[in-house]
Amino acid sequence: MTVEPVLVQIAKAIVIFLLILNIVPQILLLERKLLGRFQARYGPNRVGLRGLGQPLADVLKLLSKERFTPDTAVPWMMAIAPVISIVTAVATLAIIPFGPQGAWGGDLGLYGIDVPIGVLYFFAFGSLSFYALMLGGWASGSKYSFLGAMRSAAQLISYEIAIGLSLLGVVLMAGSLSFVDIVEAQGSGGKGIWFFIPQIVGFLVFMVAGFAETARAPFDLPEADAEIVAGYNTEYGGMRFGSFFMAEYIEVIVISGVAVACFFGGWHGPGPEWLAPIWVLAKMFVFVILFIWVRATLPRLRYDQLMSFGWKVLIPIATLNVLITAIVLVV
Amino acid sequence: MLFEQFLFFVFAAGALGGALGVVLIRNPFYSVLALVVHLFSLAILFLLLTAAFLAAAQIVVYTGAVMVLYLFVVAYVGGTDDELRPKPHGLANALGPFFAAAVALQLTIAVIGSSLAALDSQGAEVGDGFGSPGQIGEALLTKFLLPFEAASFLLLVAAVGAVVLARKRRGLHEPADAVSVSEVLRGGQPR
Repeated sequence: MTVEPVLVQIAKAIVIFLLILNIVPQILLLERKLLGRFQARYGPNRVGLRGLGQPLADVLKLLSKERFTPDTAVPWMMAIAPVISIVTAVATLAIIPFGPQGAWGGDLGLYGIDVPIGVLYFFAFGSLSFYALMLGGWASGSKYSFLGAMRSAAQLISYEIAIGLSLLGVVLMAGSLSFVDIVEAQGSGGKGIWFFIPQIVGFLVFMVAGFAETARAPFDLPEADAEIVAGYNTEYGGMRFGSFFMAEYIEVIVISGVAVACFFGGWHGPGPEWLAPIWVLAKMFVFVILFIWVRATLPRLRYDQLMSFGWKVLIPIATLNVLITAIVLVV
Repeated sequence: MLFEQFLFFVFAAGALGGALGVVLIRNPFYSVLALVVHLFSLAILFLLLTAAFLAAAQIVVYTGAVMVLYLFVVAYVGGTDDELRPKPHGLANALGPFFAAAVALQLTIAVIGSSLAALDSQGAEVGDGFGSPGQIGEALLTKFLLPFEAASFLLLVAAVGAVVLARKRRGLHEPADAVSVSEVLRGGQPR
């Protein structure tokens, strides 16, 4: 781990934040377009050329809407919940590695920070993001919001264990918790193999638990619109809702980034070294498509199915995977 | 250095304020939130002491898992209207402040006696890689193997005990005349 000058770190933070902030509305448009195609309709195509102006219109609409607070709500807590959700989502962006040190010349590392506890950092902010859903739902003072908050609490706690165990196999193989080291271990200097081949079980568990952690379909029970209106964000409107919405998509990007770094060789790919960030973004793009595809394909789980699947299927499989990986590595 | 001092004072105030809030706030939900603030501030203080692994573990385990369960239970069981108040009791009410003051005095003497001298010093030297996952793992599996295993055994006993207790008090029984929807859909006769 090398410590870079403060100004370089600030510049990197701004670049990464702006990059992802501008990708989110495009993903939103992509999702609506693809969902339309999956359901044999056009999707948004009125604003701008072939609907390209739709994200801008969406954001303007959200920004200009009324900020509504119910009588039974706790206003200050309702205000900080979206802030927590967006802060925790953006904070995890910092550790996604986009390229090795020196790929663009100099000592510049193409990642926000490289911390020796990388994977734990990801879990720490992942577990903090729960408070946004919980506080938002509780503070809204509405029964549907409360039910959504309770669902999210139970769901996130259950699947956090599985997502942790699923990455443990990768950590064992790489011998480090740092994402940069994990990617290096998959290159020609390390084991020379992308970890999704030896860790295919861990990868599948990670993706399933990742869908649950981001509360995306088919695990979107905290906001199941057919059962509890919109769950924890029922009483939210305007840009406060927009913050929750944006945080969800940033989390999708983060899970894609972690999957790419841990299982699909991160920045490794053919071509010169300066292409590294392009490779990472291209691989992440495939995972984002997967997220959308699954949403269009699978129906929502029932609540008891969700719980028994998490505790009785995912966690035992992930534990076995870690045990077998450890035995194979030592023997 | 200035930035670190700023962080230290902000989160030291957060830790103290959170701890006071846990005891002083009557509403159980806010009390638990104060504990969350306290534990999070402690994690940042660990981070300032170059114990990054401990800080992350603190957030993942305490702030992210244990407190989530607390919040879950309190939000379900404890409403906002019924505040927690001690039952009035003559003797305890009379003697309570006295004992509290005595404990506070004793702790103050202990803290001042031991820590005041350290205020002006630079603190202990930390080697390269201090507090890294590797070093902590090595310490746990060599020097502190027995306490580590004893603690994990204790946690296992607690987990098994919780499962046993939960199974014993199974609340919902399926009524005798229950009809299985899936069976009806498959064409079977309702029992």
